[in-house]
Amino acid sequence: MLSEIQLDALAEIFNVGAGRAASSISEIIHDEVKLSVPSIEFKTSAEISPEALSLNHGRFGTVRQDFSGSFDAVAMLLFSEDNALEIVRDMMGSQMSLDDLAEFEQEAMCELGNIILNACLSAMADMLSISLDSSLPDYKIASCDDILHAIAHNAGQDYILVLNIVLTSAKRQTEGQLILLLSSASLTNLIQHIDGLVSGI
Amino acid sequence: MAKKLLIVDDSKVSRMLIRAQILAVHPEWVISDASSGEESIALIEQDQPDYCMMDINMPGILGTDAAEKILEKHPSIRMVIFSANIQETHQSRAKAMGLAFVAKPVSEKSIALALDYFQCGN
Repeated sequence: MLSEIQLDALAEIFNVGAGRAASSISEIIHDEVKLSVPSIEFKTSAEISPEALSLNHGRFGTVRQDFSGSFDAVAMLLFSEDNALEIVRDMMGSQMSLDDLAEFEQEAMCELGNIILNACLSAMADMLSISLDSSLPDYKIASCDDILHAIAHNAGQDYILVLNIVLTSAKRQTEGQLILLLSSASLTNLIQHIDGLVSGI
Repeated sequence: MAKKLLIVDDSKVSRMLIRAQILAVHPEWVISDASSGEESIALIEQDQPDYCMMDINMPGILGTDAAEKILEKHPSIRMVIFSANIQETHQSRAKAMGLAFVAKPVSEKSIALALDYFQCGN
């Protein structure tokens, strides 16, 4: 779907985004954070399965934001529910009880999603010289089936960019997924902008 | 005399962008590149550059670790840490080693900052 050089450009865009997000998260949890994107893959909606998304059959904390502008995309950040709570504990202070944490879970996870998704999409906008606006983040606890259903029924968005992300701090390493759902027209538009970046070199 | 620059970055696109932006300002410079810290250490043993631009997060050793090893043997190389990893710990480490830290992405502004450090030490 994408050439090696196009994927390299996309990986570098997300590398810059992840660096910005890690810097912000580091300030929140008062600890050094590494946010890496070890793999990027394009899939079609027909290819989506729990295995393709590296999802087990547990429950997940999902943050969704819709982006619009030079191209449109639905962005989703997924962490297993246990990992999501641990991240919230790091963000809110480890002295909090689990009961108290649950009260802040929605707000803290929306903030985390907002930071990571906007850092990545703003890096994309800056590097491709385009403009993207975002909706407010929406946090839900969802099962693997709920996530697959949401992807399959996102009308017209047949292409899925799957990024495995690893959030590492001194206390723990947390793996999650960042998913971008794109229509055929949006994918074509994104590829044109990437080609513009590469051909301008 | 034409200056020699070594670009160290695991992203081919980044290496290409940096090269193009530098050559637009200094077409006479001789530019080589490496895709990892280990490769940069080996390259510098063969041909010492005047300047080096070093990414941090790459496969293998960290760019800051590679920079430390290089500067032990070649302290005259002027080096910029050029990375998307903009956390204070990495910026402080670069400063402690006497290096400049410039945040990615590759742009006219970020390249101008690196060139300013190479040529004026600012």
